Amino acid sequence: MSKLQQTPFYERHHRLGAEMVDFGGWDMPLNYKKGIVYEHLATRRKAGLFDVSHMGRFVIRGKNALSFLQHVLTNNAAALEPGESQYTIIANQQGGAIDDAYLYRFFSDQYLLVVNAANRQADWDHFNSELAAFDAVELTDETFNLAMLSLQGPNAKEILEKLIAKKELPEPKRNDLSIAAFDGVQVLIGRTGYTGEPLCFELFSQKEAALSIWDKLVEAGAVPAGLGARDTLRLEAGLPLYGHELGPDPADETGVHIPIFASGLAKFAASFSPLKGNFIGRAALLKQFGAYQKIVARNFEAMADLPRMIMPVAISGKGLARQGHRIWHQNRLVGHVTSGTMVPCWQYDGVGIDSVLSDTKSRRAICLALIDSHLYPGDALEIEIRKKRVSGVVVPYHLRSEAPPAARPIAWDQIRANRTMPASAPPETKIERLLSETIANSHWRRFECINLIPSEQTPSPMAKLLSVMDPAGRYAEHKPVAAFGEAEVFYYQGTEFIAQVEALLQAEISKFLGCRQAEVRPTSGQLANTAVFSALVDFRNRADRKNEQGRIASVMNHHIIKGGHLSAQPMGALRDFVARNPQTEKPALVNFPVLVENPYQIDVTACGELIERFKPELIIFGKSMTLHKEPVAAIAAMVAQQKLDCVIMYDMAHVLGLAGPYFQEPFAEGADIVTASTHKTFFGTQRGIIAADMDEESPDFELWQAVMRRSFPGSVSNHHLGTLIGLLMAAYEMNHFKKAYQKNVLANAKTLAKALKECGLDVAGDASLNFTETHQVIVEVGYAKGPAVAKRLEQNNIIVNYQATPHEEGFTAAGALRLGVAEMTRFGMGPTDFKALAQLMADVILKDMDVKAEIKALRKKFDEIQYCFSGSEFDELINKLHHLI
Amino acid sequence: MKDISEMNFPENLRYSKDHEWTVMEGDTVKIGISDYAQAKLGDIVFVELPEVGDRFSKSDEFGTVESVKAVSSLYMPLGGEIVAVNDALEDTPEAINESCYDKGWIITVKPNDAAELNGLMTSADYLKQLKED
Repeated sequence: MSKLQQTPFYERHHRLGAEMVDFGGWDMPLNYKKGIVYEHLATRRKAGLFDVSHMGRFVIRGKNALSFLQHVLTNNAAALEPGESQYTIIANQQGGAIDDAYLYRFFSDQYLLVVNAANRQADWDHFNSELAAFDAVELTDETFNLAMLSLQGPNAKEILEKLIAKKELPEPKRNDLSIAAFDGVQVLIGRTGYTGEPLCFELFSQKEAALSIWDKLVEAGAVPAGLGARDTLRLEAGLPLYGHELGPDPADETGVHIPIFASGLAKFAASFSPLKGNFIGRAALLKQFGAYQKIVARNFEAMADLPRMIMPVAISGKGLARQGHRIWHQNRLVGHVTSGTMVPCWQYDGVGIDSVLSDTKSRRAICLALIDSHLYPGDALEIEIRKKRVSGVVVPYHLRSEAPPAARPIAWDQIRANRTMPASAPPETKIERLLSETIANSHWRRFECINLIPSEQTPSPMAKLLSVMDPAGRYAEHKPVAAFGEAEVFYYQGTEFIAQVEALLQAEISKFLGCRQAEVRPTSGQLANTAVFSALVDFRNRADRKNEQGRIASVMNHHIIKGGHLSAQPMGALRDFVARNPQTEKPALVNFPVLVENPYQIDVTACGELIERFKPELIIFGKSMTLHKEPVAAIAAMVAQQKLDCVIMYDMAHVLGLAGPYFQEPFAEGADIVTASTHKTFFGTQRGIIAADMDEESPDFELWQAVMRRSFPGSVSNHHLGTLIGLLMAAYEMNHFKKAYQKNVLANAKTLAKALKECGLDVAGDASLNFTETHQVIVEVGYAKGPAVAKRLEQNNIIVNYQATPHEEGFTAAGALRLGVAEMTRFGMGPTDFKALAQLMADVILKDMDVKAEIKALRKKFDEIQYCFSGSEFDELINKLHHLI
Repeated sequence: MKDISEMNFPENLRYSKDHEWTVMEGDTVKIGISDYAQAKLGDIVFVELPEVGDRFSKSDEFGTVESVKAVSSLYMPLGGEIVAVNDALEDTPEAINESCYDKGWIITVKPNDAAELNGLMTSADYLKQLKED
């Protein structure tokens, strides 16, 4: 009998009294003393620590390493930059899996491939036989030189930060890697894992340091967990396991492999990019992919190429489904269970982002099944468990990972959380209620709250009143007609007044920004961006309208994690206008690099190389979470020096109201186009604008003409005429009062930031600048604590928003609050008042005190809006307007 | 798994070779699984019980006890009619791990032939058998 292999942690497993088991030839812990259920629950609640050193680790180096990997793996290895990793599959020619694996690129000159322990020998033999056709490839088996640990769960980051400096950890994004040091030894860290936990880390180190890392992690609170829990966790996460969802189908005696595309992860693991070229299994996989695409569209003509797929199935009856159990649907045999058992879970109290972990446990019988491809979530099944038929149902998932810090189990009857429709009421009650509640809300917000949401403002009474007057609700579509010497032609009658208002507004915006062109029809900032992106696509294709219109080939922007506008992300307005990068097979974006010591600021020096490499056609400045001026001039100089054909856009949504000598003058600094919301630091109403300073005789002016066309008819038809009048009033106010307003906003932001810091809060940003150069202040309150703190502040009538910083994975784990001083500055608050406010905020945040009365008293002093025209000479006209409503 | 020396096998019970325990209660027999069995299984997550009124012979399979990783059949240590089942095990199957001789009891049987109990092992004999295996 051959001896079992031992990992570097073998002694630790024994010391902890682990139940040991032979796994792929390795002596591994199945579970420790408290058992599988305990370890599963500990991982979901705290953090589980798994010895995964039994897995195979191959290193591939050499001039042709990439070509070799492109040949034997299904993923596009050329898309991996150093610092990135990817799930992949080692395919056979028939489109089945020899193994699934993870490819890591820690270093630029080598790749690390992690494979399943049980298949290490088979993978090695396969690779060596394929290597015969390659030269200049070095393949080594580092399994016995490198130890590997997996740390997974909501406390994983906090625990790991006790050993490794925060800045040496990978970015909070799945698949990101970093190289860290621990006790002088190199530790490779990946944000990867096999549990579905969003806070996931896998660590590689030399054996010698391994035990020390294990001990420190356990000391810091990590709970050792064995292979038993590893399996229940991955099952709950819906992740495939070789021998169950991948590889030879145990239910099929002919040894046929389960098609790779039966697994939902295949579409991420397989690449058919022409840049990848041919690879083992490509033809078979392409056929499967074709069938898969049809099946997703509910077209089953190609089902023979992908007859069954892996789907999560929940048991709704009494029983426990396990691998091999047959599955029936409407009395037809449709497949079998590939993995199944009973998994434990924690219950959550409450709904949505406020939901919290309780101490109550429960359990549920779940499984993954290989069943007919036409089945769909909601379909009722019967699982044959030892001659009894037990009811089950196809579900879309058992667990969700998109709300860090923890993975969330989703029971089959909780896929859509209960939504109670508001109770019906008789009309009089409804009307009266709507009116009274609007009054109550307005009163609360206007006279009792301190409003600090940076993207919000209150328009002046005049601006508000004008917004509801005729021609609000009417139309004034117009465009310039070349046949009339580019005169604006309005399609409807009754538009003389609004035509005049719009022209006056254009002039005021041009005056405000010091530019020649202003487009005022977009009804929001995001629509203004949509119009510009659409105009850029229109402009770049102006010579050829017959073929498929090519999208913008390369864009440089701020990543949303770093505070970039939603609008400028693939999930926002940019989505349908940016091309795919054929190399990465993702939207062709490159993010602004940021300074290590200040992730809120662009690293200008590092931009040069990125601009040269990616040659952006569009650079988008401007952020939603913004503490600094944008380096427009410096980047514009790089673009000019490299002679790039690039449009520099500044989305000034947040900072339009600050444009000027005290902040930034975008066109003077080199911006080609400015877009903005008109209702954040600018005085409102809620609309969008686009501006440019182009020479009408220049060929580039055609871009402006495209902007106008893509504004109307491109993105608006009716352009909300009421708020257009209101905006003209706001623009008059802005141009008249901006000097004092801008100076006060910027001074108040610094005062508030400094005061909050002195009250003991963690204020983000550069202390030497008093933390901010804008209207915003960012207060860090602790990982994932943002939502709860923001709620407490609201209960005290202080309105802020919870904000994810560059350190968090997403908004559900928001660790900060975002504040803005513009609105309260408009109501007349000054430095002394903001200092008093800072203390009250600290009292709530740090001492959980109730300061509602004090906040109401503070607001009472500032209930009259400033920086607007309010003399008694306007009273009669205002009265007339009121009567006209 | 804990060492056999740390396990508990009450002397007033009789044990089957399939690791069940039995105890006479009036004219019925209460049945469960031993400390060894629950330790070997690990966390018990599901129990399949027979219905009250079902009749079985000795050595018949009357139910199952399932852990995360395995299904374990339960065999009648003697023949008879099921007169009670521990319904609480539906919600808290872990009661078998926590209290296999008390709260973790599984069924109560009206024996066909009480003499069948004599074939079962004493605590000492059961322990001896475990050590030999």
